[in-house]
Amino acid sequence: MFHVEHQKKVQVMSGSYFEVIVVGGGHAGVEAAGAAARMGCRTLLVTHQLDAIGALSCNPAIGGIGKGHIVREIEAMGGLMGRAADAAAIQSRTLNQSKGPAVQAVRIQADRPQYARQIRLQLDAHSNLQLFQDAVVDLLVEGGRCVGVMGRSAGVLRAQAVVLATGTFLAGRVHIGGVNYESGRAGEPAANQLANVLRHHQLPVGRLKTGTPPRIDRRSINEETLAKQYGDKPRPRFAPFAVGAEWQKALPERPCLVSYTSVQAHDLIRSALNESPMYSGAVTGVGPRYCPSIEDKVVRFADREKHQIFLEPEGLDSNELYPNGISTGLPLRIQQEVLHLCEGLERAHITRPGYAIEYDYVDPRSLRRNLELEALPGLYLAGQINGTTGYEEAAGQGLIAGVNAALQIRGDAVWVPQRDEAYIGVMIDDLVTTGVTEPYRMFTSRAEHRLQLRGDNAEQRLLPMAYELGLVSDARWRQYADYQEQLDQERARLQATRVSPQTLTPRQQALLGQGLRRDQTLYDLLRRPELDYEAVLAIGDLEPSTERALALGRQLEIEARYDGYLVRQAHENRRYQHYARAPLPQALDYQAIEGLSTEVKERLRRTQPPTVGDAAQLPGVTPAAISLLLVHLRRNGWLRLPKEEGAGD
Amino acid sequence: MATPEGRGAVAVVRLSGPEAFELAGQIVGDLPEARYAGLRVFRGATGEVIDQGIVICFPAPHSYTGENVVELQGHGGRAVTRALLDALRAVGARPAERGEFTQRAFLHGQMDLAQAEAVAALIDADSQVARRAALRSLQGALGEWVDEVASAIQQIRAQIEAELDFSDDLHEAGEETDDIGPPLESVRTRIRSIRQRTVAGTHLRHGLKVALIGVPNAGKSSLMNALVGSDVSIVNELPGTTRDVMRERIGLGEREIELQDTAGIRAGDEVGAVEHEGVRRALHAMDHADVVVLVTDANTPLTQWERHVLAQLDPTRSVVVRNKIDLDGALPLSARPTESLTRFMVCDVSALTGSGLDELRERLHELVAERDDVEPLAGEQRHLEALDRADEALAEAVRVERLQLGREITAEQLREAQLVLLGITRRDDNEALLDQIFRSFCIGK
Ligand SMILES: Cc1cc2nc3c(=O)[nH]c(=O)nc-3n(C[C@H](O)[C@H](O)[C@H](O)COP(=O)(O)OP(=O)(O)OC[C@H]3O[C@@H](n4cnc5c(N)ncnc54)[C@H](O)[C@@H]3O)c2cc1C
Ligand SMILES: Nc1nc2c(ncn2[C@@H]2O[C@H](COP(=O)(O)OP(=O)(O)O)[C@@H](O)[C@H]2O)c(=O)[nH]1
Ligand SMILES: [Mg+2]
Repeated sequence: MFHVEHQKKVQVMSGSYFEVIVVGGGHAGVEAAGAAARMGCRTLLVTHQLDAIGALSCNPAIGGIGKGHIVREIEAMGGLMGRAADAAAIQSRTLNQSKGPAVQAVRIQADRPQYARQIRLQLDAHSNLQLFQDAVVDLLVEGGRCVGVMGRSAGVLRAQAVVLATGTFLAGRVHIGGVNYESGRAGEPAANQLANVLRHHQLPVGRLKTGTPPRIDRRSINEETLAKQYGDKPRPRFAPFAVGAEWQKALPERPCLVSYTSVQAHDLIRSALNESPMYSGAVTGVGPRYCPSIEDKVVRFADREKHQIFLEPEGLDSNELYPNGISTGLPLRIQQEVLHLCEGLERAHITRPGYAIEYDYVDPRSLRRNLELEALPGLYLAGQINGTTGYEEAAGQGLIAGVNAALQIRGDAVWVPQRDEAYIGVMIDDLVTTGVTEPYRMFTSRAEHRLQLRGDNAEQRLLPMAYELGLVSDARWRQYADYQEQLDQERARLQATRVSPQTLTPRQQALLGQGLRRDQTLYDLLRRPELDYEAVLAIGDLEPSTERALALGRQLEIEARYDGYLVRQAHENRRYQHYARAPLPQALDYQAIEGLSTEVKERLRRTQPPTVGDAAQLPGVTPAAISLLLVHLRRNGWLRLPKEEGAGD
Repeated sequence: MATPEGRGAVAVVRLSGPEAFELAGQIVGDLPEARYAGLRVFRGATGEVIDQGIVICFPAPHSYTGENVVELQGHGGRAVTRALLDALRAVGARPAERGEFTQRAFLHGQMDLAQAEAVAALIDADSQVARRAALRSLQGALGEWVDEVASAIQQIRAQIEAELDFSDDLHEAGEETDDIGPPLESVRTRIRSIRQRTVAGTHLRHGLKVALIGVPNAGKSSLMNALVGSDVSIVNELPGTTRDVMRERIGLGEREIELQDTAGIRAGDEVGAVEHEGVRRALHAMDHADVVVLVTDANTPLTQWERHVLAQLDPTRSVVVRNKIDLDGALPLSARPTESLTRFMVCDVSALTGSGLDELRERLHELVAERDDVEPLAGEQRHLEALDRADEALAEAVRVERLQLGREITAEQLREAQLVLLGITRRDDNEALLDQIFRSFCIGK
């Protein structure tokens, strides 16, 4: 729009030339800026308010099932979130402890100011990263590439790559009952000019909505009548390997309180539905199915007599509580009355009203896998702007956007984890191929390699690559390599020690319980659900190898438990094994293949699998789809099999 | 070529493609009005008359393939058909690859994959029952059955996935999962029944396999010729001439079977190296046949090998033939050491004179009907593989549940099972699962 004009303007920060500019100091923005800086780029983070960097817009908690998995991955790639969460935790729990390790994850309650402070401290530790407080109002576009941004006060800011991580701020509109106004998040301005710019560039923009509950004053509730929930001891951590005094400190613990809604509260909500922006038609954006407002819950699950409310402490020095479970867009007056009909909240005082917020997002199918806009190279999008929701989801994308912006500047190939490497890979693949119909949140069920994508092995999955990219330090690498070596040795030791039915001593017999049918290694025995690492060592008459043995042992237990299933899970497509190595031409026009579903075409186009075998691994690509692909290749004379190790035919 | 070569009273040749009308015109002169049958003379390149028959034109897109299609219905017979095909080739047509018509129809969006495969089955179906099975699948029966089972699996998945991803929410509502063993077993039962019916369908399509086995010179090849009614197998007086497995389909009532004539099987010593492979194949055929016919010579006592085989054969799927009863030396059944034969259906026949053949056909028909006593569904090998893989995954899920190895492992088995089944009808919908979860459970704080 105004590019020509902008170029004439003086570049305010001309003394400092930036390679990467990140817009937005939310969870996506800080990870993007951190990653680009760690990879050696001179980086600028521009955001509305420096003091809001690392703000938790919604509830004061990090992690959970699926989300906690992402935090572990961020940690394994040298990101900020896990460490900040550990240092700001005022309560930590491992969820799903009664289920298998693949679906267990850590969730912490955070002290809000401490979390933001920890993020800021980590950012400040990067010497090649600068912060700047400003509102970005335009993009600089030259020759079809994004080459910088325009700050309201700074003017022209040039860079080789730009990451937009503007969250819910694009054309954000807050609704409280019949009242609505422009805002990016309670008390902060919306980014309307930038929203217009995106529309001007004809990016596919849509509307989504989300909501947040009212906050209440702890001193006004009847605390004694409510059940308390404490965390686990010892506290589980996202960054168990972090060394150094600052990571070992722990804040005091605060419990959560548990309250319930009531039939009367539900009746009241039902009678006031016409005043809720979601039901009156004022909000048109689509909200998430899994994070329903209390209005939604009451309507959709009409026969439930009560819903749980989790009262989360906002922080150590705060009297405010976050009542998780009753996000709402009802008028303040009704919010107040509803609260008073809930257990223990009869006289609760609201400190901040709950609200619904609508905002613009960009259809993520317009992105490449590296999160760069196909139509506007040089511009990367990360976080809620891509239709996701949640801090962890945003942070994961931010990291990948930052990495790829840096890779582009280095002239290196794109790197994005695959679906079998990381939840982050699953998320990005889902986003760019399937797009979103509601705010996208991670669930473990989205990962078809769930047994492989675990919290315990995040480092094994990602740290070597992160080191290669330059995301983690030499010291961190050595620490990992050392651990890995011990793990390998211990595994080898268990695999080398055999027990045989002929030579079982009565003691071994007793330890084994079930008995032994044939020769087995200790590692094989570890697969038995009733035997843990210590028991297996005892059976083999072995001592723990190192001080760290127990940690190693736990990990080996998990490995052994899933070992047999990982192979099985690998998408096998026997019928096409013969063609698995047949290359797919780079310029193949997938749109032209008749009979393929749009989704599959899209997925193939984006992922550009190098061979038919790779294509067959992709989710949604069925044998029938491969069959069509082969037909298409053969028709056009493109079906070739590389001659190798006696590959006949 | 739409009808199998050399069979039937009418040979139908179909031309498909943008130039189908033009090419057909060069053979039959002016074309009849679209979708009306017209009688025309078919002429070769030099103008010689090849045949006379019906011509029907189906303009795109309202045709089977979605392209312009011309149907030429001539008189059967190899020579005539071949001449017609040569003529078409001469004007620029090329013979379709196997299944290409259906493939084109599929590619032009005229049908879904399971339907396309059903059509292929229909074209192949020679018998009445097979035709009906294919028709049922064409109307989507296999797909529907499979979809139903897949959605039953999805329902179980929704429950346990909700429990894995939202344990807190469900715990609160007291919505803990009950024992999923019984519902899993019921799904498995349904899969097995679909499988059985699909197997019946493939039998109809490819014919139930009936293997003729026996010592060399017992008369297997002769018997096969007699049953088929033409010389397909090599008959020779030197033992061990039939080295390959010969296959031929014959009608049996309203069904069809595939007869397999094998090399003679011997206990070992005299078997020459050349013959060795043939013997191996015969044993293989016996293992893979649905019904086995042991051909013996009624003029000689049972050999060591024959007794050995009788001990292994399953009487519910075999018939023993005493051949060459026309010869003087033929011993009556009662004069033989019958002990090993009492468990079996025994037929006295002469491949030479044809006596006893009707009774043998009757016996075979009974056995075949017994083995296929279900409503058949037209399916393909890949459908069977998919059903097997799904069942395998479910069996593992049941085991994991029983041993309590972990719900997350069960969940992956169910995912696998559902995906494999959806592959049959080419549907894959992750979103549907999430939708079911959020419809069924109140999730989210
Ligand atoms: C009311 C509300 C309720 C929510 N409820 C939930 C929930 O229930 N569950 C859940 O998982 N998640 C919820 N979220 C989402 C979660 O907060 C976000 O997904 C996450 O914070 C997104 O991170 P982000 O980095 O993409 O953006 P944000 O954290 O929103 O950060 C965006 C940053 O960009 C800055 N910015 C924006 N535009 C400009 C500009 N033009 N110039 C300069 N700076 C700019 C902003 O000031 C801000 O610092 C909610 C969010 C809100 C606002
Ligand atoms: N008389 C008579 N001869 C037969 C009969 N069946 C087969 N033969 C002869 O037996 C010989 C071997 O037959 P063949 O079918 O090749 O036996 P195979 O080795 O079992 O396949 C040939 O000479 C046939 O003509 C029969 O029913 N009666
Ligand atoms: Mg023979």
